[in-house]
Amino acid sequence: MNFTPDLIAQLAWTGLASSSSYCLFALAFALVLKVNRIWNFGHAGIMVVAYFSMLVAFQYLGLPLVLGLAFGTVATIAVSVGLEKWGFNVLRNRNSSTLTYFIFTMTFSQFMIYLAELIFGTHPKTLFASIMSPVMLVGPIVISHWDLIAMATAAALVAGLWLFLRHTREGKALIAVSDEPELAEMYGISKQRAYMVAMALSAVLVTAGMYLMGTKTPMYPATPMNQYLILAVIATILGGIGNVFAAGIAAIVLALVQSFSVLVIPSTWQVLLLYVLIFVVIVVFPRGVVLKLPRRGPARAAGALASQPADHAQGGKP
Amino acid sequence: MIEFLLTLAILAGINVLLASGFNLILGYGGLVSVAHPVFYALGAYVSALLSMHLGLPVPLAILCGAIFAAIASFGLSLPSLRVSGDYLVIASLGFQLGIVHIINNLEITGAASGLSNITSVIEGPYRSWIYAGVVILVAALAILAIRWLVSGPYGRAITAMRNDEEALAGIGRNAINIKVTLFALGSGLAGLAGGLYAHYFLFLTPDQFGIFASAALLTMVVVGGAATVRGPILGAILLTLLPEAIRFLNLPVAALGALQGVFFTGLVIFFLFTRPEGLFGGKTTGGLQAWRGSTAVRPRAKEAK
Repeated sequence: MNFTPDLIAQLAWTGLASSSSYCLFALAFALVLKVNRIWNFGHAGIMVVAYFSMLVAFQYLGLPLVLGLAFGTVATIAVSVGLEKWGFNVLRNRNSSTLTYFIFTMTFSQFMIYLAELIFGTHPKTLFASIMSPVMLVGPIVISHWDLIAMATAAALVAGLWLFLRHTREGKALIAVSDEPELAEMYGISKQRAYMVAMALSAVLVTAGMYLMGTKTPMYPATPMNQYLILAVIATILGGIGNVFAAGIAAIVLALVQSFSVLVIPSTWQVLLLYVLIFVVIVVFPRGVVLKLPRRGPARAAGALASQPADHAQGGKP
Repeated sequence: MIEFLLTLAILAGINVLLASGFNLILGYGGLVSVAHPVFYALGAYVSALLSMHLGLPVPLAILCGAIFAAIASFGLSLPSLRVSGDYLVIASLGFQLGIVHIINNLEITGAASGLSNITSVIEGPYRSWIYAGVVILVAALAILAIRWLVSGPYGRAITAMRNDEEALAGIGRNAINIKVTLFALGSGLAGLAGGLYAHYFLFLTPDQFGIFASAALLTMVVVGGAATVRGPILGAILLTLLPEAIRFLNLPVAALGALQGVFFTGLVIFFLFTRPEGLFGGKTTGGLQAWRGSTAVRPRAKEAK
């Protein structure tokens, strides 16, 4: 293959654009791990809910864009919050083991996937009849409208999350609970409310990510489990457990690596790269490799908190 | 009808082998891995390919498949010395999806369209009767071996490792040996089950060994009762027979698989919340309760209360 600067630039742009959804998925996963202290493999199930509720809104109910997005977001938040309230909270009160959480979250995802397959079939679906996006040439780089929308959406949501965590009372409560739940409660902060808010926020991020994905590529019900969840997990570990925004950065790096890998790896083996990465990252870098930002005080440390020990979350020696 | 029932008996026997091996790793060892179906796949494919391409006698090919699966388990048991709990789960997930992806794309394994024309070990009108007898005998022997293993001094060492690895080291036992052995034994049994499956059903596809298979296996162990000898046997038999009832609904194949999936996963969730100890686990022993206080899989911090 001829590694021309134009090709490199195009791959970099494509990777960056693709990273938009990945970044949102990673942020959602890392946020729940940080605040709720749960490796929520149920995220794949939540992605399925987000996607298929939007599919119902757009293709079956014929709702306009804004209403359809709102419908998907509300449905996803409801399922996420329900998962916390009737799932995690029950297990937490029982002081359940890591294994129980794992089985529950994984099984929840699979349940949602099978339910989607039962209702909507096993064929790939797109959110709209056409997923063609107009393109323009900027120098040697082909830029689609989808690229711009995806990057702008992701940037807005990342900025919104950062502002929320840093400047709102609710956001500061999330950070306090993630830091020291017992201490936070002594100061009148409700842990349970913080857990719910974290799940709701992650649902918003997941819905946006699934919308972007669904307007670019056809989706099988199992795709979130086989690809997006794994990518979010790798990014979260690479970013360092407890470092929400570093997970987002790691997701961007992963998308770029995946994009550039076409230069050396045939497309058939592209997905394998993810699986190898997750295995290697877990075994070799369980505490993450992304540089941590300096800690700047509890209230200002949204997403830049020093990485907590790996067993901060449920179980496991790193 | 008799043929159908015999096929079910063979499948149930194979699932008992699989679930009992998985229980050895997950239930008794507290080593949380989801990749067990991969060793089932390796046993099945290696055995099938050895008999097809090298002309190895089928029993020898099945044995080679089981040994290969046991050796391949080092790929997970060695990481388990470094990481545990969620980390091991995630590593095992990557391991499983990676191996299945490789099988899915290799020409020699038949790729996504599957491997057919696998050598049959027995021919004739009594094929299913004989095969059912062999599978049930192998499953029974495996169960007896597991029972002997977990009820003796080694079994107590396994429980000690699961509950407190440091204390085990304190009394001079080596947790590393136990982990590697458990993985090798459990995976070897899965490989054996895979070989038995391949030479009876004579067709393999990578889809059989993915996340769905992990869910089904987890269901068998959790529903029956993890860390009990009888639990996975009952779980495997129940979970082999019950979904067959769905077949009588005459649904399209795609819907049938999805409905079975909903059934499997729904049952696991139901048991997790209503009877986490499983059908055979006691309130404090066996089932998911077995991991309480374990250091291999630490429970969440007290703050959760």
